[in-house]
Amino acid sequence: MAARGLLLASIYLSLLVHECYGVTLFSSLQKTLQVTTTTKRGQVLKAGEDKLTITWGLNQSLAAGTDSAYKTMKLQLCFAPVSQKDRAWRKTEDHLNKDKTCSFKIVEKPYNKSLQTLDWIIESDVPTATYFVRAYALNAERHEVAYGQSTNDQKTTNLFDIQAITGRHASLDIASVCFSVFSVVALFGFFFHEKRKARMSPQK
Amino acid sequence: MEEDPPSPQKRSTSPPTPFTLPVDSDKKATEFRPFSPSSLSSPHMRAFHLAWLSLFSCFFSTFSIPPLIPIIRHDLNLTDTDVGTAGMASFLGSIFSRLAMGPVCDLLGPRVASATLSLITAPIVLSASLVSSPQSFILVRFLVGFCLANFVANQFWMSSMFSGCVVGLANGVSAGWANMGAGVSQLLMPLIFTAITSLNVGTHTAWRLAFIVPSTFQALTAIMVLIYGQDLPSGNYKEFKKTKTESREEKFVHVLFNGLKNYRGWILGLTYGFCFGVELTTDNIIAQYFYDRFGVNLQVAGTIAASFGMANLFSRPMGGVISDEMGRRFGIRGRLWGLWAVQTAAGLLCVLLGRVNSLCGSVLVMCVFSVFVQAAGGLTFGVVPFVSKRSLGVISGMTGSGGTVGAVVTQMLLFSGSKFSKQTSISLMGLMMIVCTLPVSLIYFPQWGGMFCGPSFDPNEPADEHYRLLQ
Repeated sequence: MAARGLLLASIYLSLLVHECYGVTLFSSLQKTLQVTTTTKRGQVLKAGEDKLTITWGLNQSLAAGTDSAYKTMKLQLCFAPVSQKDRAWRKTEDHLNKDKTCSFKIVEKPYNKSLQTLDWIIESDVPTATYFVRAYALNAERHEVAYGQSTNDQKTTNLFDIQAITGRHASLDIASVCFSVFSVVALFGFFFHEKRKARMSPQK
Repeated sequence: MEEDPPSPQKRSTSPPTPFTLPVDSDKKATEFRPFSPSSLSSPHMRAFHLAWLSLFSCFFSTFSIPPLIPIIRHDLNLTDTDVGTAGMASFLGSIFSRLAMGPVCDLLGPRVASATLSLITAPIVLSASLVSSPQSFILVRFLVGFCLANFVANQFWMSSMFSGCVVGLANGVSAGWANMGAGVSQLLMPLIFTAITSLNVGTHTAWRLAFIVPSTFQALTAIMVLIYGQDLPSGNYKEFKKTKTESREEKFVHVLFNGLKNYRGWILGLTYGFCFGVELTTDNIIAQYFYDRFGVNLQVAGTIAASFGMANLFSRPMGGVISDEMGRRFGIRGRLWGLWAVQTAAGLLCVLLGRVNSLCGSVLVMCVFSVFVQAAGGLTFGVVPFVSKRSLGVISGMTGSGGTVGAVVTQMLLFSGSKFSKQTSISLMGLMMIVCTLPVSLIYFPQWGGMFCGPSFDPNEPADEHYRLLQ
């Protein structure tokens, strides 16, 4: 009885907590920021080695006071549609809490009116895929209020590829070969031993 | 035949009981004591522990890959279709290897058969650390799946070592404890991965190194089986091969066809496909389901998935015990009703699992579902021995293979590609379980009856009539 009550209470609480996070929808955000990346078409960047230069800031042609609520800027690396295809774990959802498009945080900085530039060395755990960069402006409650991205609304222009580093090392390859040899030798060694025992036993 | 090869545990001073366990006329143990350390000196309990440990390592290896898929899919740029195809492939190989294992055990003995398979597949498990493309990933999962054929060797070995009164329990406990390997793997592999990354090894390399553990464990258990195990209570197969009559080999084809034309074997294969097959599929997808749908991290997803597999510790043996109890009270009718009821309940819980939206609710429903679906597996093998005495091996092989066919079919229809959301797929799987359990009502034994009809002749008739019908 007590367990059932506890379970119901925890389910109710978890639902409440979920509601408390707010229902920020991507479609409700204003596109007031501009983001550009200095990548050439067809360029493949290497994770862990290459640099990505990003420039971002408020769209200067907008009226003053648009950015009154902006307190923090968050830059994220997002998957292009071609890398989301047939991969439900990278799906785009309007509900920002459930959206999996932008999985990698590049940087988070306090909001600055003027144009900012960053030279970001691509982190080594970024997987092989096609990307663009998106910037979110957060208010004092850390909710997204505006965004900008380095590609167009259909996410077709100015995309760049990142090549991940491979985890394979020569030492691992050698260890695998040695282990395979050991396994097979152990098996044949056993058969040979059994045959010898069988041949020796009638002589006893 | 009367000459036993000298065995260490045989007390040369007291001939009547050479074993520490009571045995019948075939020297098969009539008692089953898995928790008594003194019983380890008898070849029966030694065989039990070696058998369940080596099958445990095979399940551990086969299911070492699913909990790491959230990391691997990033590294190899896998699509949903790739992951689903690999999941299917992991069971495809075992369909054929399970069918082939029966005759191989007959020829070489379960000890050599299971150890050879384990030693050959252990390097393949380690080669999972070398994959760099979706194609090689699918190939490795296909090849590793072959080692699940050790289930047949395990059951065969138990049937050779334990007498009829305890063979059901020995089979059930051995299979249940071995199935836990799938659960333990889901728990341990994320922990091993995290431990390796804490040594400042990048995630790209850490998941590759993690496969050293299952492959080494599998090789070790295989070597232990070769050193400490023996096929029969009184020695190994090779020593008795010469005394086997030639007529046994000739009748093999007859035994095979006798089994294949028994419709009950096919029905049990179908129902086992939708209890054990569903269990295998769930083992494959459940960690990813919790990781993606509820946003828990890798370790938590692995722990939740592990609790699914680890319920096998008691739920599968419990299924066997329930089957025996129903059989005692109501005969075969009771066993069939028990199987139908438990498996249908499991199907309903599976439908519910797909509809629950909260994390706590999902975990709770999953736990109850795991108990029912695994007990249904135990109940199935409570009916299998009664289908055919002559072709028991063939019927067991058909049922066992049916299990993996069910896994492949459910994976193929419901969990490849992004057609349905995972929760819809899980509910549909539950619906398929309910529908495919209905054929149990079609199973009818003329001498014992079926679910709805009584026996069609007087059980007091001469025994030889029964024997022919038992064929």
